[in-house]
Amino acid sequence: MMEPWIFKTALFAYLLSTGGYLASILVRRVFVARVSTWILLAAFSVHTLFIIVRWRTTGYGPVVSIYESLSFLAWAVCGGYLIFQTMTKTRVLGAFVAPLCFLLMMLAAMGLTGENIVPDILRGYWVPAHVFFTLTGEALLALACLAGAMYLIQDHALRAKKAFRFSRYLPPLRDLDRINHLSLLWGFVFFTAGILAGAVWAGTVWGKPWQWDPKQVFTFLSWILYVLLIHQRLAIGWKGRKAAFLSILAFAVLLFSLAGVHAFFTTIHDFS
Amino acid sequence: MPIVLIGMNHKTAPVEIRERLALSCDDPSRAMTGIRDLPPLREVLYLSTCNRVEVLAHLADETRGIDDLKAFIFSHGNLSKEELETCLYVYRGDMAVRHLFRVASSLDSMVMGEPQILGQVKEAYRQSVAHKVSGLLINKLLHHAFRVAKRVRTETAIASNAVSVSYAAVELSKKIFSRLDGKTVLLVGAGEMSELAARHLLKNGAGRIIVVNRTLENAVRLAEDFQGIPAGFDSLEERLKEADIVISSTGSPGFVITADMARRALWRRKNRLLFLIDIAVPRDIDPAAGEIDNIYLYNIDHLQEIVDENVQNRMREAEKAERIVEEEVARFAEWKNTLEVVPTIRSLKDRADGIILGEMEKSLSWIRDLREEDRTRVEILVHSVVNKLLHEPVTSLKEVSQNDGILAYVAAVRELFRLDGLEKKGRPWGKEKESEEKEKPS
Repeated sequence: MMEPWIFKTALFAYLLSTGGYLASILVRRVFVARVSTWILLAAFSVHTLFIIVRWRTTGYGPVVSIYESLSFLAWAVCGGYLIFQTMTKTRVLGAFVAPLCFLLMMLAAMGLTGENIVPDILRGYWVPAHVFFTLTGEALLALACLAGAMYLIQDHALRAKKAFRFSRYLPPLRDLDRINHLSLLWGFVFFTAGILAGAVWAGTVWGKPWQWDPKQVFTFLSWILYVLLIHQRLAIGWKGRKAAFLSILAFAVLLFSLAGVHAFFTTIHDFS
Repeated sequence: MPIVLIGMNHKTAPVEIRERLALSCDDPSRAMTGIRDLPPLREVLYLSTCNRVEVLAHLADETRGIDDLKAFIFSHGNLSKEELETCLYVYRGDMAVRHLFRVASSLDSMVMGEPQILGQVKEAYRQSVAHKVSGLLINKLLHHAFRVAKRVRTETAIASNAVSVSYAAVELSKKIFSRLDGKTVLLVGAGEMSELAARHLLKNGAGRIIVVNRTLENAVRLAEDFQGIPAGFDSLEERLKEADIVISSTGSPGFVITADMARRALWRRKNRLLFLIDIAVPRDIDPAAGEIDNIYLYNIDHLQEIVDENVQNRMREAEKAERIVEEEVARFAEWKNTLEVVPTIRSLKDRADGIILGEMEKSLSWIRDLREEDRTRVEILVHSVVNKLLHEPVTSLKEVSQNDGILAYVAAVRELFRLDGLEKKGRPWGKEKESEEKEKPS
């Protein structure tokens, strides 16, 4: 049984990368950040290995339990960032992504080691597909939100003129806008596929795909916001500040449907 | 071994004097041949830029040498002694080393941190080598200076961030557009500063330049300069939609680019980011244009503010750099001291003793079995062989120390017997590091 060992290695590598990124900001050396990116890539590779091994030992897509989902979310965020890193010079984004991944992995670590009892209704192909697609989509949309937030900060720094010293650490506007745009498009595709897979599963298990459940309502609301945002971007030619702002708002709603709904409402989307 | 540096720079000499000297010394090889024939010089480096003239020399006789060097500079620059004496500075020993290090790392430059000076020092050194007037000391000193400059550049932020308005414009453009490849620059009006900024932008990858001017001939002339496109003033609004970076510096009393024009241009360019730079006084661009989303407007005061802040920043970094220079001056002095005769003889003997001790230890197994008196005999034998062997080199060293060639001798002995490696252990700082770095081309 080598799974826990692989998981801990990945967790440690994420921690190392986090430390590296923070150190690179402190000592202001690009070299340190570059090394941290390689460590992050190593963490991602080990993490990938972990997911494959777990898949083979448990026999189902390792995205069913909440802990597995958290681990998978970290994996998707990290992968998304690494892809963007090769396309644009936005190394500073890693200083946000690496700690986020580490945090998600810590949460995942709390429940991963124990044996999971998977309820019967969660067996089959639709549930892993649903979780896989929505989490990948959400990871990319989280990146879009992060890039959007950084865009707003950089935009503010450039407009305020005096804040030039601070803006030095942030990537150029164009790169941030491009990340926001790309992760938005791809995130939306995965997110939509995930919702559809969930609806198909709900249709077979609950009898109907849609039943005005709070979780479904909020998810749908954020989906509508993303549709609106993509329409504005592609058809109206929105760029920069407005797009960044809306991508943050939409993600806030999405985050609520993901985590907040359970605290305020009772939802049928609860399997524990 | 006296090292002397005589020179003048932008702080000590007015431009009229500097230019006369620089002009007549323009041809470095002519100056070199002149200097080379001065009798008391062993090694020399001659550096002449538009802001400074420096002569670094390793002299045989300090007092006479300095007078000769000065006389050479006076005659060379066609200047009277009185004129020049007030502008010249003379540094000796560690002071000369420190000055050279500061010059090479651009701490003594008019624009602190500018990168050209290091290249100029390197070129001056190349000249010295080509004219065979560099020797052990200048070689070592200059390579050390290049290393100091490198340390200062990488360990401090003295060379980062624009300290001129035109460079600030380039840096801001990069903050907005990331890369400038394929970006279009629109020059409205003409002026030294805007042309300089345009040149910097082109050098940093900007794709093309459009020049708009009230008089079309001026636009055509300027466009030829940049291999750009000339355009009439009435096409300004049309051109605004193509441009990514606009630099405006007309003499117009009112706004040349209004907020409405900017808004319309933005609409037609589908909200692609637009960077407006207004360096005209009175202003050319309506400040309201800067409030529009996806348009960034900087005027001359904004740019100047950035420059001022960066200058302040460089001052702070300069303090760090001075500390590095001090460290390195001490390190160089340390090295120079090893070139004295007496310590070299001492380390040579230490080395020999060390070898004897080591070899005796290795043979301990059979020496132990010898009788007491045989053991003593072996020891005496070994010592006398070594002493005989060392006798000649040591005597030569002592004799040579009376005349000129001593440095080369001492250096050769240290090199042949690897004495510097021997002393490494006792030394607080890194001979080690130095020899590592030596392998890289500087």
